[in-house]
Amino acid sequence: MLGEPVEKATIPPLEWNCPEFGAIYEAHSQCIYYLALRLMGDPAQAQDATHDVFLKAYRKMGTFRGESGIRTWLYRITINHCQNLNQSWNKRNMFSNADEVVWETAVGPSENPLRVLEVKELGERIQKTLDCLSEEYRMLLLLVADERLSYEEVGELTQQTADAVRGKLHRARKAFATAFSKFS
Amino acid sequence: MNSESKLRQQEQELHAEESGQQQAAKEFTSTEELLRHDAAQIEVPRAVAERLNESLANEPKPAKSWWQRFVSGD
Repeated sequence: MLGEPVEKATIPPLEWNCPEFGAIYEAHSQCIYYLALRLMGDPAQAQDATHDVFLKAYRKMGTFRGESGIRTWLYRITINHCQNLNQSWNKRNMFSNADEVVWETAVGPSENPLRVLEVKELGERIQKTLDCLSEEYRMLLLLVADERLSYEEVGELTQQTADAVRGKLHRARKAFATAFSKFS
Repeated sequence: MNSESKLRQQEQELHAEESGQQQAAKEFTSTEELLRHDAAQIEVPRAVAERLNESLANEPKPAKSWWQRFVSGD
């Protein structure tokens, strides 16, 4: 009945066939799923990607040399996987670089463009905004939002220096805020 | 219901509506904060873990990574 609290059925924890790898999945699956979801914009595709990324990681575990953190390694697999799945990304982008300049230089509203009135539709609005940005800006913003990654690691994942990340990030934030305010 | 109590009820409804809107409004200081908030709302469906676990059952045991070899002393 509406308005009455619904008692959630208790779901027993999953018994992993490989408990060590299960622990890795439990620790990192949320950030991997989120990245895949926002890069591809489709929950079903993001679920498939998360499964495939962890399966690839399991198979490649022997080649993981520990030069980077395991989360960075998983992110790299995810980025490669999503890019392979979506090779037409650049063609599908709504805006060319020239248009991007418009997003960056457009005069924004005087109030904070990141103020939202309706939190429940926020995810949809964020997705629409990210879809407007170039692949590089989208990737940078999503990776930097993970507080566990340093600028150096983000640079490593996006094949550039940490200084380049800082410089582009400033423009990416501006482009995001401008596009975000247009979807209110 | 007389007109005075009707008016009071309308005022109460309006007030409730306004305070509801205030609760829904949220201000983020940065794009990263907004994205972190978004990420926190999203859960990985359990079906993914279940499917992965089934897939792992059909996989040969992977070779030990450098750190596993280091820990086990191989």
